Amino acid sequence: MKTPWLRQIWDRFARTRVGRSIFRVGLPQSNLEKSQAMVSSFLLHVQPAKVHKHALKASYSLGLGLISLYLFFILIGTGVLLMFYYVPSTEKAYDIMKDLQFVVSAGLVVRNMHRWAAHLMVLFVFLHMCRVFYTGAYKRPREFNWFIGVMLFLLTLGLSFTGYLLPWDQLAFWAITVGTNIAGYAPVIGPKIKFLMLGGNIVGQESLTRFYALHVIVLPAMALLGISVHLFRVRKDGGLSRPDESGDVVEQIPLGQLPTNKSYGLMELARGTTPQVGKNPEDEVFSWPHLVFREILLFLLVVAVVLFLAVFWNAPLEEFANPIHPPNPAKAPWYFLGLQELVSYSAFWGGVVVPGLIVTALVALPYIDRKRHGVGRWFASERVVANTIFSVCLVVAVVLTIIGTSFRGPNWGWVVPWHQSPAITEGH
Amino acid sequence: MNDHSLRKFYGWFTALGLLVGVLVVMGYYRDEYREWKDYQKKYIQEEIHRAATPQQKAQAERIALQIRQVQLPDLKRVDRCTTCHLTVDDPSYGGYPQPLAYHPLHEQHPFEKFGCTVCHRGQGRATTTADAHGNVAHWDEPMLPMEYIQASCGQCHEAADNPSAPELARGQQLFEDSGCRGCHKLGGTGGVLGPELDRVGARRSPEWLRKHFLAPASVTPGSAMPPQKFSQTNLEAIVLFMLSQTGEATPGYYASMKVLPNTREGQRLFQQKGCIGCHSVAGQGGKIGPALDDVGMRRTPEWMVQHFRDPQSVTPGTVMPKFGFTEVEARALADFLVHLREQSVALSLPSLMGPVERGHQVFKKYGCAGCHGQDAKGGVPNPNAKTAELVPDLLHVADGYTKDELKARVLKGQKEITALDTKRPPPPLYMPGWAGTIKDAEVDDLVAYLFSLKPKGEDVGF
Repeated sequence: MKTPWLRQIWDRFARTRVGRSIFRVGLPQSNLEKSQAMVSSFLLHVQPAKVHKHALKASYSLGLGLISLYLFFILIGTGVLLMFYYVPSTEKAYDIMKDLQFVVSAGLVVRNMHRWAAHLMVLFVFLHMCRVFYTGAYKRPREFNWFIGVMLFLLTLGLSFTGYLLPWDQLAFWAITVGTNIAGYAPVIGPKIKFLMLGGNIVGQESLTRFYALHVIVLPAMALLGISVHLFRVRKDGGLSRPDESGDVVEQIPLGQLPTNKSYGLMELARGTTPQVGKNPEDEVFSWPHLVFREILLFLLVVAVVLFLAVFWNAPLEEFANPIHPPNPAKAPWYFLGLQELVSYSAFWGGVVVPGLIVTALVALPYIDRKRHGVGRWFASERVVANTIFSVCLVVAVVLTIIGTSFRGPNWGWVVPWHQSPAITEGH
Repeated sequence: MNDHSLRKFYGWFTALGLLVGVLVVMGYYRDEYREWKDYQKKYIQEEIHRAATPQQKAQAERIALQIRQVQLPDLKRVDRCTTCHLTVDDPSYGGYPQPLAYHPLHEQHPFEKFGCTVCHRGQGRATTTADAHGNVAHWDEPMLPMEYIQASCGQCHEAADNPSAPELARGQQLFEDSGCRGCHKLGGTGGVLGPELDRVGARRSPEWLRKHFLAPASVTPGSAMPPQKFSQTNLEAIVLFMLSQTGEATPGYYASMKVLPNTREGQRLFQQKGCIGCHSVAGQGGKIGPALDDVGMRRTPEWMVQHFRDPQSVTPGTVMPKFGFTEVEARALADFLVHLREQSVALSLPSLMGPVERGHQVFKKYGCAGCHGQDAKGGVPNPNAKTAELVPDLLHVADGYTKDELKARVLKGQKEITALDTKRPPPPLYMPGWAGTIKDAEVDDLVAYLFSLKPKGEDVGF
């Protein structure tokens, strides 16, 4: 059978002196080398040498978590490039957006990539969360990793929201004004939180400085730490959830109660059991190349999609921010439009109760829904009640968001997006 | 799942790798291909074509494709127009089609000091035709059509008496005479019924303004403003004046050019600086300095300017102090004094006017004519007002009010106008209170003027 030409090139390079010095083991041939390839590489050793076949099934995970991670990488890369130009000044920020578009080499494409990758990341982190719910993957022993995941989702929203202000155009100014107003509806502490976020009562230079610091350092650092812990725990909890894993969950023996008549390895201490207990070696494959190839492929796909969007569609940039001229309607970023729609009925319910309940329910979920059935299968019939409740909430959230995005016009009145909205004339 | 099942991956790697490669190339092409490069290439070809000597030809061939820009930090602008319009300052390109045309008459406004967009508007930072000319979504300032270019003079210079912008001056005259200030504030002076006009030129297009004057309600539903009956030329002039009101602050150097030396500005200075304290005109004023009625015949403007700069240098021993006038102010004052011998100018000094004349000026200044008509003769419609659906004329106020009552009424205003038919919407126009806006002495003069309007020969009794 003919060896693919790409692999031939790779083979040849890996065998050279330089290639070997980089990859150490060359291109792995034997099972030993496949394990070594994973363990001896900094980038790959985060993952186990062998993974369960189930974890590779695209139809199970849909790669949503990995896609989110890749989008995060793209955002860091493009974000750093944008930082080379950006100045968080209300006087300069908007002009810099224009310069990126008109005179900076690749400025517009990089900004487009950053913008579209940011929207996609919000979407894919959310989809990832839905996948984990529908497959019951948040159950023991992954309860706390679900919590970290919820925090990462909130961080993603925070990153997107803080980035929204930076271009300092009308879209940015008013989306942040509306968004922080929603936060301000909380009783007692709401106005304080709003003031703390904005560094004042309205969006201004102080807000821009704060949002910038949060956007480029505080939140990315937190997200990076959170993602590291999230991935660490995925591995410590036995990789991706799967249907038949209940057998290999062994109660951890509390440290003080370990029998003292034998010596223990680190792994045993960590998990209270030996790593291979309950695992069937036949169900596992070597991470190299089965996992790594799939990861590379998905990475190429994500890059291709983001590039495609960035080459053909420009990131929005409206007029220079004008605090005395609100657009009608002024809308929050799209992922908050469901809340804004609720706020239009009741500021208290939409601004406080509902978001508070959503976060509380998400965090508490694994501790309420504790039965270990239906894990590792989509829409397991044993979980029909939980799935139904979640689906109803999901549909409501999506419908509210779509209404807020497309069906709300001037003065938050009804419009139908496929009819041209009447010309908006400013009243005197 | 053996390693052979991975063979398909190599195909996918190749395909996706190629796709990413193609997209990168497309991104690069999109970035590298810029409209302005075509124009610059055309320019270089033209330069090569014109070259007479081999040296000139070599020089032309070395012209780099690059962004050209004028940085104007004081005006908060970066104008890249010259990236495509490469020959604006090269007279040998006179008559060439755009973008390679020569811009005549730029000596007083050199490009490196003013750029382009401060007069022509548009988007200076942009480097594509559509974006730069500003005819794109989310850009408030499209290029000003050439027929309205005089509006730009008014952004920095006082509109009136600007010899280079006669249409603009006419527009301002119309604005004042038509009583627009009765309802609209401009530069802090005016009424409260309509919106302030300080930034109207930056917010509105010529089309919008035209429609607005002819039928206000067609662009602003529910507007109380009565339709204006302007002739076509007057309409264009007032639109022009509106467009000049952009509210843009012109800093430093640019602000010093606000006032072109002219009679009107000279007169303003003459009053403001209190010249009349020492000098007299038509017998009124101080006796310390000489009377100025015929100073224009005795002295040249150059002498006067030098005199303002340093009185001792032309009149040793004089007690006149140095006032520290700017060059422009000195020239404006000289201009005024030269014309002082013409009686019309002399008579327009408020100190020479009686209360009735001054009151008439007040009537004009605050735009009372906007509602009460030219010379208070009435005639402006106010639908559903009990007074025959018109704003009342003021010819007979002397019959119904004492001077104090009338003064109080002007200051207090009348919010509720009695309706003809209570079922119809209330009359849109009402009398605003002018307290706080109008000065006390001005009200006295205004009342004197209004009392003078009672037609002669009409008797109170019968």
